[in-house]
Amino acid sequence: MSTTDHRPGSTGGADVPGPLHGGPDDDYTPQQLAAMDRTELDRLGARYDAVEVLHVDPVPEPGSPLERKAARQVTLWFAIAALSAVAFLVVYAGSNWFLPDWSWEPGDSGWSALFTPLLGATMGLSLLAIGVGLVLYVKKLLPHETAVQDKHDGSHFDRVTTGATLVGAWHNSGLPRRKLLGGTLAFMGAAMGVMLIAPLGGLIKNPNKGNPLGTTPWADGLRLLRDDGTPVRPGDQVPGSLETVFPAIPGGNSVHHSDAAVMLIRLRPDQMETLVTPAGQEDFGYGDYLAYSKICTHAGCPVSLYEQETSRILCPCHQSQFDVTQGARPVFGPATRSLPQLPIRVDEEGYFVARSDFREPVGPSFWNMGRLN
Amino acid sequence: MATNTVPAPEQPRTLVGKAALEVDDRLPIAGWLRRTMNKVFPDHWSFLLGEIALYAFVVLLLSGTYLTFFFDASMREVVYEGSYAPLRGVDVSAAYDSTLALSFDVRGGLFIRQMHHWAALLFVAAICVHLLRIFFTGAFRRPRETNWFIGVALLVLAMLEGFAGYTLPDDLLSGTGLRIFSAVFLSIPVIGTWVYFTVFGGDFPGELIIGRLYILHVLIIPAIILALIALHLTVLIKQKHTQFPGAGRTEHNVVGNRLFPTFAGKATALFFIVFAVCAALGGLVQINPIWLIGPYNPAQVSAGSQPDWYIGFVDGGSRIFPPWEIELWGYHIPPVLWGALGLPGVMFTVMALYPIIERKLTGDTASHHLLQRPRDVPVRTGLGAMALTAYIVLWISGGNDVIAEKFDISLNAMTWFGRIGFILLPPIAYWITYRICLGLQRHDREVLEHGIETGVIRRLPNGEFIEVHQPLGPVDDHGHGVLSYGGASVPKKMNQVGGARRAIKGFFRPIEEPAEVQRQAEREARGLEAEEASRELTRSGRPAEGGRPSAGGRPREPRD
Amino acid sequence: MSTTNPSSEAPVDSHRGLRARFGRRPVAGSPAAAARDRRRSKQRRRLANVAGLMAALVLTGVGYSVLAPGASAADDSTGTASNAVEAGQELYTRSCITCHGANLEGVQDRGPSLIGVGEAAVYFQVHTGRMPLVRQEAQAPERAPIFTEEQIEQLMAYIQANGGGPTMPSGDLRDGDLAAGGELFRLNCAQCHNFTGEGGALSSGKRAPSLQEASDLVIYTAMLSGPENMPVFGDNQLTPEDKRAIINYVQTIKEQADPGGAGIGRVGPVAEGLVIWTVGMGSLLFGIFWMGTKA
Repeated sequence: MSTTDHRPGSTGGADVPGPLHGGPDDDYTPQQLAAMDRTELDRLGARYDAVEVLHVDPVPEPGSPLERKAARQVTLWFAIAALSAVAFLVVYAGSNWFLPDWSWEPGDSGWSALFTPLLGATMGLSLLAIGVGLVLYVKKLLPHETAVQDKHDGSHFDRVTTGATLVGAWHNSGLPRRKLLGGTLAFMGAAMGVMLIAPLGGLIKNPNKGNPLGTTPWADGLRLLRDDGTPVRPGDQVPGSLETVFPAIPGGNSVHHSDAAVMLIRLRPDQMETLVTPAGQEDFGYGDYLAYSKICTHAGCPVSLYEQETSRILCPCHQSQFDVTQGARPVFGPATRSLPQLPIRVDEEGYFVARSDFREPVGPSFWNMGRLN
Repeated sequence: MATNTVPAPEQPRTLVGKAALEVDDRLPIAGWLRRTMNKVFPDHWSFLLGEIALYAFVVLLLSGTYLTFFFDASMREVVYEGSYAPLRGVDVSAAYDSTLALSFDVRGGLFIRQMHHWAALLFVAAICVHLLRIFFTGAFRRPRETNWFIGVALLVLAMLEGFAGYTLPDDLLSGTGLRIFSAVFLSIPVIGTWVYFTVFGGDFPGELIIGRLYILHVLIIPAIILALIALHLTVLIKQKHTQFPGAGRTEHNVVGNRLFPTFAGKATALFFIVFAVCAALGGLVQINPIWLIGPYNPAQVSAGSQPDWYIGFVDGGSRIFPPWEIELWGYHIPPVLWGALGLPGVMFTVMALYPIIERKLTGDTASHHLLQRPRDVPVRTGLGAMALTAYIVLWISGGNDVIAEKFDISLNAMTWFGRIGFILLPPIAYWITYRICLGLQRHDREVLEHGIETGVIRRLPNGEFIEVHQPLGPVDDHGHGVLSYGGASVPKKMNQVGGARRAIKGFFRPIEEPAEVQRQAEREARGLEAEEASRELTRSGRPAEGGRPSAGGRPREPRD
Repeated sequence: MSTTNPSSEAPVDSHRGLRARFGRRPVAGSPAAAARDRRRSKQRRRLANVAGLMAALVLTGVGYSVLAPGASAADDSTGTASNAVEAGQELYTRSCITCHGANLEGVQDRGPSLIGVGEAAVYFQVHTGRMPLVRQEAQAPERAPIFTEEQIEQLMAYIQANGGGPTMPSGDLRDGDLAAGGELFRLNCAQCHNFTGEGGALSSGKRAPSLQEASDLVIYTAMLSGPENMPVFGDNQLTPEDKRAIINYVQTIKEQADPGGAGIGRVGPVAEGLVIWTVGMGSLLFGIFWMGTKA
């Protein structure tokens, strides 16, 4: 704010600023303000912000037993916070230095199993103590005041003047008259908006290319392999058993073929007596062996909670229940379709192979599943 | 020379003062700072619920940033060779591998990871409690519909953010959850398969989804949440707080503490306490032990596969929805759609539109800054209880297998409980809540009319026994109180009106009421006249005033 | 089996089986070693087929009484095998005959036939106190066993003598690859018993019991015999090595500490949700009540 500058680019003392701020600066001269004490100034400022301090509960007298007690309490909590923080650092940095190793291995139940709990306890205590100390500070050592602040609705003056500016600009732009320009602007805005988001179209993938939803890797002659890659023979399973098998292709048991898992079930003789095969699937099984898709037709979880006495397969996600002696028909829960059955036979070497892919889409239902070819 | 400079009579002498002047010279900030510090906040515990959510979000940002230093959001297949022996040699994704590594091979990594997960659960829980407070006290009414709407959007975003984070480690539990999510996409009519392929970049799970969820989880959704929180708070500050009705409180003021230093001190303290709870849980209680759960494999699953609690109701809806699949000309609409998408969709739509619905139903279009007690709006409170009951039934159904197992209940019975309970219990909850509200209202009116029960039994000359009642204010010729109900809490015990001479340190009370009573008691002890200021505070004729024994209001007996 | 089938088609061979890979790791990762290991595992499995039959006859009296914890006396193992059968029959007539019939043929709606269930099934059912049943319900509950170890042995001998069936294993039941056991556990067991063996609900009041109290032998015999609704895991489906690997995994996980603090039941998000609402939200609500009160 120097007025003695006469260097080029400066107007020197001729450039006189307008009134400094107006408002309170006009109401109160610096001299008047200087005559006020701190509390008065505080209340004055508050009044300008529409705040009235109604009442102040005094703090305990400095030096009084009450004050000393409160101060001791607050100090104690902050001390706890500090010590806990130090304890955290000791545990964190000291492990594997002067304390035992922090790195946990299965079977450890000593220091390394306590490392994380100790970190949590020390950090938690430290932060909690800061919080408690602060609350006590505010409650016991700061004056508690009750203030009231006025609430103002929107200003009529502001609304009218702002509105005038906006509407004036709108009229000055001439857009209400220039219909063609206005229409073009709207079209331009829409087209530009679509243009800007259009590159996201690269995300879109066609679900109908090659029928990925209606097919799985299973095919005629493909062996049923266990998760360790060994094929299955009819003699391998005992009645009342279930085994998860995968198609004999690379990555058959992996996330790359999430629809491929099949449950190979061998029924007990009494289950065979009540076996009802759905029409068209009479020859899908092999003797007392049946193979069903493991993927739930409700939401795609792997069903496989096989209850061999009740012949039910339960899905652990939404509790759909399927009866394996009735073509894996849903008998309870939200599932609506039977688990697709995989037609199986035994190849010339005596191992189970698929006869074809599933005859219907595997997994959850979708819009056009009945229209896939 | 210096004709236009103001001679400052008191230039700051201290270093801090000089520095402050230097700052304000360059960036005139003093006025703004004073206005901010003078802002008055109501002093009631329920106004801190939203702050818990805010501070949990801060903890999430801090701990989440730490986690990104170690996490590899890739579905690349690797063989686990880390320090956890029971998984060594297993094929896992890089995401799972790096999560295990940051848990076991990074000092303190497990602690931060668990703190992050607990803070996430707390974040959504605090939002829900905050939302309930807003709902049941009518704080969403005009002019705050916008902020209600932003709040609902924040809740939905918080749930999506949580789900994305839950999925990132690519463990067996979250992979199962993702698979169910994929079935939900697939169930959308007409465009379902397109949405599904677009989201996963091919058939489930593909190789992209973890990376996509990662960028959503660490950038896109947090950025939106942050922006909405900023907007939420800006609107809040512009509109100022609501407050409960009470002595001296009107539609045109806010009574409470100024931001600085009282409220700022408490808010800072609350931040540390929220942080402390997250840290303590993060270290002391194990959450999402992915090493026990195992890596994701589409052929494997665990009993009791559940999402985190805030998605539980969606899962519950899918569990109890009956097997109704619509099939027309080969086109299917599977039941997953209704349970997992329709139900939450309806729920959040109705929730977001509720301020408008209520305005239409009641015809009340006025601005409101004073809150309502839930009992005074029995229909809304009943509707809230109804929605809450339906939600809880869905929520219980989301864990019905664990409940069935732990409490030895039939799983099928639990499913039927959910189906029937979802239809039957909400109306019952509505009716009960409605009746309770009316009962509480009547009791308020009764106390205003007849006074507080003092527990003093007196025998009249004619032999009749009566209980002496303490009126709360002036009485008419029949001994009935003339105070009308003002929407504030009505004192119902003698010590709430100073009858016990010492205010109880009300744990569940707003701070002003006992303070007023206590001050009065102190003044009486000193034999002083009541201050003018306190008259000011209580002059609006709210029921908290008057009838105080000290004000000459001796216990009186009603005539009838 | 692939030894009898050397010309198995290419995809089968190129399928890098998990278990094959696990087998390779300890032997410094040479493919030859892996193949050898795999061959050996096949041979072992074939051997087990034969051994299973032989063991039915031989191990009845001999193997188990040596192995059994607290088996009364090793010296009566050879001489009193038939005595054990007779004693077992007597016990059977006293406690089991009502539901399982005079000739182990089973009784309609009461109990299944016991012909061919083998001593493993008897061990599991009686040792876990599930049998004899107190009353008919959805599922036999676990209790303290009614019979002494010796009596259980006698019952086992009796059942084994009438129709044979799966026999008791011998040796170290945890002698298997930990990680392979984990994979097998998650594929075959976790869906019912939960990922840490905490158990889970099944349809209509039945449940897969928790494995927390289950001993190695109980888990082994359960897999072998498929009690009640549990599917049977025969030795040709899960080889004895596989079973031992699974047991190794289950018991390791059970005994393992929770490095992240309290395990809260190890049941997953339901318990976590409960904790955040009661402990987390509860303590914070308490905190803000307290902050709102006057000093």
